[in-house]
Amino acid sequence: MEQLYLLATLAGTRVAVETGEVEAVVRLNDISPVPGMAAHVAGLSALRSRVLTIIDVSALIRGTAAPAAQRGFAIIADISGHSYGLMVDAVHDICQVPDGGLPLRGQLDPAWLPYARAIVEHEGQPHLLVSLASFVEMGSLAQAA
Amino acid sequence: MDDLLQEFIAETQETLEALAGEVVAWEADPGDRDRLDAIFRFFHTVKGSCGFLNLPRFERLSHAAEDVLSEIRSGNRSADPATVSAVLGIMDRIAELAEAVAVGAALPDENDDLLIGALSARDDKGSAPEEGPAASPVAGQPVRQGGAQAVPRTIRLPLSLIDQLMNGVSDMVLARNELSRQLRERSGDPELESAFERLSTCVADMRDAISKTRMQRVDRLFTAIPRMVRDLGRELGKRIDLVLEGGDVEMDREMVEMVVDPLTHIVRNSIDHGIETPEKRRALGKPETGTLKLEARQSGNQIVIEISDDGQGIDTQKLVEKAIAADRLTRDAAARMSEAEKLDLIFHAGLSTAKQITAISGRGVGMDVVRANVERIGGVISLDNQPGKGLRIMLRVPLTLTIIPGLIVRAGGLHFAMPRAAVVEILHDNNEMLRIAEIGGAKIATIRSVRHSMIDLEDVLGMEKLPQSSPRTIMVVRSGTGVPYAMGVAAVDNHEELVIRPASPLIMASGVYAGMTLPDNGRPMLLLDAAGLANAAELPNIADDCARRQAEEEEAGEAATEMVPALRFEELSGERRLIKLSLVERVEDIDADLFGRSGGRAFVRLDGRLVPVVNGVHSFDTPHVSALRIRDGAQEACYPVAAVLDIVDMPIVPDMVAMQGVLSGVSVIDGEHLEVVNPFALFAALPGEALRAPSRGRCVLADGDDGWTREILAPLLRQAGHEVVLGLPDDAPVDPRDIVLSSGPDVAKAAEILGCRVVQLRASPRPSGPQDGSIYRYDQDALMAAIAGAGR
Repeated sequence: MEQLYLLATLAGTRVAVETGEVEAVVRLNDISPVPGMAAHVAGLSALRSRVLTIIDVSALIRGTAAPAAQRGFAIIADISGHSYGLMVDAVHDICQVPDGGLPLRGQLDPAWLPYARAIVEHEGQPHLLVSLASFVEMGSLAQAA
Repeated sequence: MDDLLQEFIAETQETLEALAGEVVAWEADPGDRDRLDAIFRFFHTVKGSCGFLNLPRFERLSHAAEDVLSEIRSGNRSADPATVSAVLGIMDRIAELAEAVAVGAALPDENDDLLIGALSARDDKGSAPEEGPAASPVAGQPVRQGGAQAVPRTIRLPLSLIDQLMNGVSDMVLARNELSRQLRERSGDPELESAFERLSTCVADMRDAISKTRMQRVDRLFTAIPRMVRDLGRELGKRIDLVLEGGDVEMDREMVEMVVDPLTHIVRNSIDHGIETPEKRRALGKPETGTLKLEARQSGNQIVIEISDDGQGIDTQKLVEKAIAADRLTRDAAARMSEAEKLDLIFHAGLSTAKQITAISGRGVGMDVVRANVERIGGVISLDNQPGKGLRIMLRVPLTLTIIPGLIVRAGGLHFAMPRAAVVEILHDNNEMLRIAEIGGAKIATIRSVRHSMIDLEDVLGMEKLPQSSPRTIMVVRSGTGVPYAMGVAAVDNHEELVIRPASPLIMASGVYAGMTLPDNGRPMLLLDAAGLANAAELPNIADDCARRQAEEEEAGEAATEMVPALRFEELSGERRLIKLSLVERVEDIDADLFGRSGGRAFVRLDGRLVPVVNGVHSFDTPHVSALRIRDGAQEACYPVAAVLDIVDMPIVPDMVAMQGVLSGVSVIDGEHLEVVNPFALFAALPGEALRAPSRGRCVLADGDDGWTREILAPLLRQAGHEVVLGLPDDAPVDPRDIVLSSGPDVAKAAEILGCRVVQLRASPRPSGPQDGSIYRYDQDALMAAIAGAGR
């Protein structure tokens, strides 16, 4: 099973995202904050005529918002009809991984547990396979809680 | 195969929707061949398609229905209500099955035999079912133009494609704006500009056309109604005549979706609680069949949907009793309520006039929810209640959800949009009509003696309040439940038509935002939800005692009549005093040179007249003097002051009455003791007759009716500082000092007899003879000299 993965660094952890989920990767410029929201909702950003809801993933995982200076790239995804931008620390590569997803091993940080689905190995480095939709779903749960 | 199946399901669902109304209409008039054919055609199509697609249950159901219908067509059977119900049952089952296939769920495993059995229940004639149902009559049936089934040519498009188109056009508009900005910066090449202009027009046209794809006929809103009315009517044993009008009005697709629920609810209410049973109606002398009328029409950029019935209307007394029983209202307050306010109680949660909860309505979801839903989309609901005769409910909803007029407000350094419809009033926090009190953390804004809960937007959204020099703005906002509250924001910046799009669920979940918009500056902006903000702030949602409030307002109104506006000023001598504002004609800075003194009285020359100065001051240190021009109706006076401070309300009777000189007493305004000027004493001290410039008499213009005299001569003389009287005074004595100006010799003679000096004017430049002492009327110098000479 040859699957294309986008490799990125998210909240200091190497992750892989199935490219089917990814619409684009853009450099974030302006984020209009949305007051009254949980910390992981960084705000809104316009991508041409679309409005993205920007999610600060590191705030979701670590509980601390990414400093404004580090706001670089965002992965754009269309999740249940709405456009989201997930802030990432860095984007490395898009590549095919021959092995595909491997089962999770070791004791995973509970913070990552809801998002990690498998391990993807690339050039000897393990990457957590995450689903972008899970960040959005968990995001709304975290908010409701 | 999959595509075919999807298409079949979509087509079936759509036809079903359109047919629901047809079946009911057909029941009412079983002889209507067109409708029967349409229904027959539907079952026939379904049967044919599902045989091909291998959907046995569809096939069995449609086959059974088709059999019955063909019997009716051939006249072997009549369309009695039981049959119609059975046919409708089959249609419902087909809809359920279609739904199940569409979502890929397991087909609901219910016994179709029951339904099919119901079809043949009345089949007492026992005629053999027709095998291979007649396809030919269907094919051969001429399609009647203008009939109910005449459908415009359409194609089916996925919604996502239309949304994609919309987005594409929006992108295009943004790109055009950017291009236009860049073109403006560069030098103007007319050819380039005209080409751009053309492109621009095309883009705009395209946007209009695309927005039209969002529009849908209101018919769609009405499709489910006939069926519902029929079913409910049968269930409740009521006979209802349904009238639908204005189905061809178009409104936004999303809006249609939003209105369906409130409308359904109102119709249910109407049938359940409004229209009486035939027996009761007969007893009341009404026709046994009740009428329910749904009407849609466009009114400006609003769609008005009117639902009227001729039922019993709303019993407001019952409502009031319910409210009292529920501790929502005191008897006292109820007694003071107006009929409209009582009626308004129907929109309060948990109040319903239904004696008992029925299956149809009154399940706890009441008119409060209907109103909340209508208001959420920027609509308004109003009632016209005629107890015993009927009820008319009007829904006014905006034409489109996506473009709404909005206010751009600023708070905590961010901009937000607020639907214009939700804002009742805007005022600055330094407005005198507004008082903000803070108690135990709660803020109360009292505006014209109406108390509102107050919140600051920054507090609700957890933002920091930025310091600002200008006054903050208070908006009175009507929340979804109808209780207005005050909301403080840093400022209201703008008023715009906003294109609203839904925000992501993550943001909507916060409950305080209703959507978002992307203004031209490219920075997304959130649309605030008025009701959501009130909920988030946990504002008490008290049914306000309007009557008491009104009484208070009236009281306040009475109090206000006892207060009169007064001008606070500083005397030249430094005291602060008040004078009734109505006496002051205006306040102006007067040249100190114009003040003078004559005969022990001070006067000032204003507009060529001498006006007495009330406090006798006539020399000043400054070149200009602030002065109040006061007037008692006839007499005018000038009141030089050191400074005019402001306008305040003072009691009409001073707090301490002390008649002394020009003062009538002392009033305390804002903790300051101020002497109140007594206007009576002020004018009484003035000289009895108006001062007159010593060198000048009046100019009496004998030919007062003459246009030239009135329009040209009189203003000229007034400008020169003369007092002008038009026409010879009939009763008043002509003063010997007056100068009479006249163009006719006879008047001149009469005036001379009276002892006045006369200046004769003539229209021709040349004198008529050597004896002619008249002056050419355009010879200004000579004229002025003559008047001055005559006056001497």
